[in-house]
Amino acid sequence: MKPPMLARMLLLAVAGEGESEFVAGDLHEEFIYLCATRGRPAGSRWYAWQVVRSVVTLLALRMRSGEALHVVSGLSVAVPLLLLDRLWCFVHSQIPLKDGLSRAPGFLAVNLVCVCICAALCGSAARSFQRAILIAAATAVSATFALWAASGYTSAAYVWLMLLLVPASSLLVFTWRKFV
Amino acid sequence: MAKGESLGEFEYLVLLAVLRLNDDAYGMRVRREIAERTQRDVTIGAVYATLERLTAKGLISSEMSDPTPERGGRAKRSFHLTGVGIRAVNRSRKELESMLEGLAFPLPRGSR
Repeated sequence: MKPPMLARMLLLAVAGEGESEFVAGDLHEEFIYLCATRGRPAGSRWYAWQVVRSVVTLLALRMRSGEALHVVSGLSVAVPLLLLDRLWCFVHSQIPLKDGLSRAPGFLAVNLVCVCICAALCGSAARSFQRAILIAAATAVSATFALWAASGYTSAAYVWLMLLLVPASSLLVFTWRKFV
Repeated sequence: MAKGESLGEFEYLVLLAVLRLNDDAYGMRVRREIAERTQRDVTIGAVYATLERLTAKGLISSEMSDPTPERGGRAKRSFHLTGVGIRAVNRSRKELESMLEGLAFPLPRGSR
């Protein structure tokens, strides 16, 4: 006898690697007990309701254990980059005949430094090499998304520098912390 | 006592449930014990979040057991109180008793 498939899938999606094993086991045990005492529909309802009500706490647990660090890393790269883009848009709009033209190299350098610092901080929180790789990949993907969503024109050199330096700074800080 | 060392109400309940269940203290049994004794509708997520917090505080420790067929082939994580946890329970009980001392229960309705 198996618990409802959708609820099981939701549980596996929200619970971290560590938690999903014993939380699913606990719920399965209680599900079998409820099916035997109150019938299968009641057991299935109880199982699904427990999973739905536990979604937020299990996600929070996953965040605290560092498993969702790649999501946080992605956001901590994309959000500052998009905010800086909005800021430079505003600054340019205040300068006559500048709005819509290519960004000043100084502004782009500030973007690059800020985002590399954010990526490096995220990389420093990684505990294993696999996690560090995952974080570096997440920062690269989110930087790509932020560059695509940016409104101002950006040169190819800037884009390449961003896509190389952001994951590299994340990995470098992880390596530095591990071996120094 | 430093901030963060005191126990929240639910933390206290979870610690007492672990204490009562002894060698059989794992997530679902802790949940059932609290639900049956306090008539609260407790979720497994809330229990595990609290157990994790208590583990981080060093009040309980855990160990994994082998997978069993009645759990769908999954392992079980059992919890035990540590020495720090036992001291925390004793201290919380003492604090609670001290606060309850001299009060007559049940309190009359409408009293302030």
